[in-house]
Amino acid sequence: MQGWSGSGFLEYLGNPYLLGGALATLWLTAASISIGLALGLVIALAQRSKSKVISIIASGYVWLFRGTPLLVQLIVIYTGLPQFGVRLSVIESALLGLSLNEAAYLAEIIRSGLLAVPVGQVNAAKALGMRDRQIMRFVVVPQALRIIVPPLGNSVNGLLKTTSITSVISMEELLRRTQELIQERFLVMELFAVAGLYYLAMTTAWDFVQRAIERRFGRAYERAPTAPDQR
Amino acid sequence: MSVHRIGLRLCLALSWIALGATAAIAEDCKSKIPDGDLIKAGSLTMSTNPTLPPLQFVDSAGTLKGMRIELGAEIAKRLCLKADYIKIEFDAMIPGLQGGRWDMIDTGIFFTPARVKLMYMIPYENQAISISLANKDKDKITKVEDLAGKTIGVEIGGFEEAKTKALDGELKAKGLAGLTIRTFDTFAVAYQALKAGQVDAVTSIDGVAKEYQDRGDFTRAISGLYPAPVALAFKNKELAEAVKSVLDDMKKDGSFDKLFASYGVPAYTEPFAVHGPDM
Repeated sequence: MQGWSGSGFLEYLGNPYLLGGALATLWLTAASISIGLALGLVIALAQRSKSKVISIIASGYVWLFRGTPLLVQLIVIYTGLPQFGVRLSVIESALLGLSLNEAAYLAEIIRSGLLAVPVGQVNAAKALGMRDRQIMRFVVVPQALRIIVPPLGNSVNGLLKTTSITSVISMEELLRRTQELIQERFLVMELFAVAGLYYLAMTTAWDFVQRAIERRFGRAYERAPTAPDQR
Repeated sequence: MSVHRIGLRLCLALSWIALGATAAIAEDCKSKIPDGDLIKAGSLTMSTNPTLPPLQFVDSAGTLKGMRIELGAEIAKRLCLKADYIKIEFDAMIPGLQGGRWDMIDTGIFFTPARVKLMYMIPYENQAISISLANKDKDKITKVEDLAGKTIGVEIGGFEEAKTKALDGELKAKGLAGLTIRTFDTFAVAYQALKAGQVDAVTSIDGVAKEYQDRGDFTRAISGLYPAPVALAFKNKELAEAVKSVLDDMKKDGSFDKLFASYGVPAYTEPFAVHGPDM
């Protein structure tokens, strides 16, 4: 029995190489969620398009990327695409794979949010003489956002951990650097405990951000807690 | 009711036959290894990372094959145990052995002073490091210095990775540009990356680089770097001693050298010995 090495744990806890890996995980998450969100919004709107061709293409995208493992997508992007002359670097491949995959899931979240706004409200807005864009801007989107935010936060939390999969194409994020350092002295539990703490710190910090965002988009519903029920 | 009873009788009869059969095998071959020394009684559980043809690989039917697999199977047979293989990535090998997941590492783990402090090892094969290139680049790199500034792929956690880092240090010491080292979970992905042009070269052991060259997939540009012995590794000392005597027997009856010759791997000529933390 090797036992727990407290000094090893503390030493790795402040290891700049690991911290660098955690930073890589953080920015990879931030960048992928930003690109994924923009792309997901486009896809969700395209799915609602009146044009059959556009909505089929958008649904096909979601079908493809939700239907195949991210691991496969990453390896295909990194080692398969060069066969057709598209050679992306490790970072580009990781970012592209995560963003494309995330966009498919986010598109579904956004679509469900938009669908959750009752049709009657759109009709009412039309009756008031609002134009399509105004209806979106002032009626549908504010209500949809409130529904979208909680599952969206869930996605960010999930993505933060999913980035570890990119280690398979040699992306030097937190997990890969942890594995590399394990080979040094084989302090397996100590290093994974450090990595686990880093992941927990990042997801916990995100929890606070998410709560704040939820409060921001839930404001309209908090103002009149004792409003009589007139629905 | 009666159908039930017939069924029961049939079951009993069958189990008697089965028991008899196992007893017969056990009589023929009784393992000297106490069950307590094994992860799974009656089996020699071995770990291997089957991404290194021709030494350890999976064929298109999914069967484990290769020189080291045959060696492991023969060792298990001579110990009167069933050969059980666990296919796992290299970086899990030593933690898994320490954690009691398998009895023996049979993946061509290099023998190093650092590792011998962690487990019992029997060196049995000599290997060295090679540099593989895409065939179109075969004239670009012919000596170690040509690697300066290149991107090299390698499997994480192994001797190959350690020596790739050493190579990087040597190049820098000569005032040349260092290497960009990319680590992958398996050699399979590393070679895929080489095929895709994502890395300029892959470091692997001589036998593997030669196999890929023979198949026409990649060019072995440099070979014979950092020669070192490769070992079988154990957590349990008694098991290591038992395997050592099996290897001695195999050497004596010629089957060991015959196996190596059939794969074109030079025979190991040193006498077998167990090395470990307390010896």
